Amino acid sequence: MARLGVPLFITRHVLIALVVGGIGGVLVVAFLIEFDRFTSRNEFCASCHSMTYAEETYQRSAHFNSASGVRASCGDCHVSPSLLGATWDHAVGLKDLVKQLLGPDYDDPVINSLHLPEAAFAARDWFRRRDSASCRRCHVQEAIQGERANTAAIHREETEGKTCIDCHYNLVHRKVPDERIFKREAWNQMVEETFGLEPGEAARRLAQPE
Amino acid sequence: MCHESRALHRRLGVAARLSPELERAGEKGTRIDRDKISNLDSGVSGGSGRLLWAGLCLVFGLLGGGQAIAEKVKLDPGQWGHEAGKDCVSCHSKASAGLASQWRESAHQSAGVNCMDCHQAERSDADAMEHEGRIIATIVSPKDCGRCHEKEYREQQGSVHAEAFSIIEARLPALAEHVGGSGMSAASCDQCHGSRVKVRGDGTLDPATWPNSGIGRINPDGSKGSCSSCHGRHRFSRAQAREPEACVRCHSGPDSPDKEIFEASKHGMIYAAHRDEMNLNAPEWVAGRDYTAAPTCVTCHMGAAGKLPSTHDVGMRNAWSLNTPVSRRQYLVILEDGARLELPLGSEIPKRGQELVRPDGRPGQVKSVITPERRRQAMSMVCLECHGKSFTEGFMNQFDTVVALFNDKYGTPAKAIMEGLLGAGRLTPTPFDEPIEFTYWELWHDEGARARHGASMMSPNHAWWEGMYLVGRNFYARFLPQARAIAGDRAGELVDAVIAGQAAHQWLIEPNQASAILGLEPAEGD
Repeated sequence: MARLGVPLFITRHVLIALVVGGIGGVLVVAFLIEFDRFTSRNEFCASCHSMTYAEETYQRSAHFNSASGVRASCGDCHVSPSLLGATWDHAVGLKDLVKQLLGPDYDDPVINSLHLPEAAFAARDWFRRRDSASCRRCHVQEAIQGERANTAAIHREETEGKTCIDCHYNLVHRKVPDERIFKREAWNQMVEETFGLEPGEAARRLAQPE
Repeated sequence: MCHESRALHRRLGVAARLSPELERAGEKGTRIDRDKISNLDSGVSGGSGRLLWAGLCLVFGLLGGGQAIAEKVKLDPGQWGHEAGKDCVSCHSKASAGLASQWRESAHQSAGVNCMDCHQAERSDADAMEHEGRIIATIVSPKDCGRCHEKEYREQQGSVHAEAFSIIEARLPALAEHVGGSGMSAASCDQCHGSRVKVRGDGTLDPATWPNSGIGRINPDGSKGSCSSCHGRHRFSRAQAREPEACVRCHSGPDSPDKEIFEASKHGMIYAAHRDEMNLNAPEWVAGRDYTAAPTCVTCHMGAAGKLPSTHDVGMRNAWSLNTPVSRRQYLVILEDGARLELPLGSEIPKRGQELVRPDGRPGQVKSVITPERRRQAMSMVCLECHGKSFTEGFMNQFDTVVALFNDKYGTPAKAIMEGLLGAGRLTPTPFDEPIEFTYWELWHDEGARARHGASMMSPNHAWWEGMYLVGRNFYARFLPQARAIAGDRAGELVDAVIAGQAAHQWLIEPNQASAILGLEPAEGD
């Protein structure tokens, strides 16, 4: 090996380890990319019945049907753009699977509706902590023109200290009020009216996960 | 005036309920006339005059809040000028820029009152929402305006305007839903009467109830009414609210053509000619002092005139109910919490402290009672700024005569006939499922109201051609024939007996009174 001018500590074993490690590393990265891609697909997310309720509203939104033909997938918005971030998000997302299996019956539309606000609050918080990074994957704040006369000026001049999600929420999924003014009783009453339940039934079902 | 009303008080057994001082003044034989009233604020009055003064102050206090000028906001200016307001304005100069530019023209802007001062909300408010980091509410209710405009809020709550939805809420569906249909109320009835605004569980306002600026709107905070019904937001121009057009959105059309009546009256004629002399932008707007060119709706129904204070209790000066099947002279009963009730002359007049049931079912305690004569007196004080006393009384006499005519000749018999048919099982209880119910409805609600309103505001055309002429035509040519047909074998008893004894209808039984009125030539040989 010394003939080739490589340092003496590069022994045959080290070389093999480097090659195997390098290929292994590439394979791991490739796996993570594929894994993140696979688990960010709409089909994967909606493979749990509980997620089909979110899918319904999404399919009526501008993020599904846009004039430009761009369609944002579940993962485009709800998974971080970076590989490590995406991997981390999916690892944390395992808790959703655990809750789906062991928690309340989110497949039940009533239970799903009753728990929706907390899910929305958590999602908004996730966006806010990342400075709406997944929005910025497609939307460039400086480039926003909008249809109304002053949309561009508003995005340049009125956004100090704000991130996308601070203003742009309730765009895709069912409307949920901001956490600060959320009124559980009013929400429960709406769910009861929607599903024809007796008054108080919503609170009871929330208290006793089925 | 005082002698007459005292006599009336005694007759009705309501003496001393209005004000003990007033009664004592009356006992001393003091006569209230215009000179005395005009002396009031100079304070030059001796013994009995002092009592009279106290009494009158109390009466006018009840009538309008005790001031002859627009109420100044008493709240400390430190209480407004919310710091977040400039952010609102900055962004809304770009988004919905019309809002901000209207506000920039407003007295609110000059006084430093910004978006947040009116739109801020508590997190616990039913209609609170998060908007650009702030907790606000879209709806600015009278209660919100009342944070600064206390007097106006106090007067407006309980007024016939504030109750405009509560009064009809129970009976509305039988017309709006049956004859109209889903969605009709939101676009029509509710836009004048108001809606019961519903905040949905997801925090949005139910579009079946909002947008709405009806004057009796039930707001999410429980207050009633909508200031922006008359005061166009976001400019809130004094001049705009004083214009007759402020009332036209609702007070026009077949059932309450007050716009058309005003325009067709001498008042409207002079107003149109001298609109530029109305001093509409004056900070204070006392008829006879700040302007004399012509009256608008506001002048007579709300405005300050001479010593009469302005009021946001719009129905206060109305001695009659003009939009009922039969008009009643009405008492205004003021409850302890400021709410008001109208009670017809002839019904049992409550005593001070007595419990009463409000239109919405809640109980209330009586604070004071204002007689129809007092209400008429207040209205007449406006007239007196430009007209003589006998002229004013003469006009009121003409008006009262028309109302009494409608009542006695048409309103009362038609109601009795309808009740007879219903009682005899010839009509179903469901309204509007029989043609005669439309006939009867239009008789009092449209044609009858037009006649009465026409006479009340001096449009000869509305009093007769658009009003009583149509009432008569309806009564003789539609209502009675339909009623007889429905009554069938009992027509004599259920229909004809009701009008048989009335002198006003006796001409019907004299078929040979020839006249050229129809344009027909007299028969040959006559």
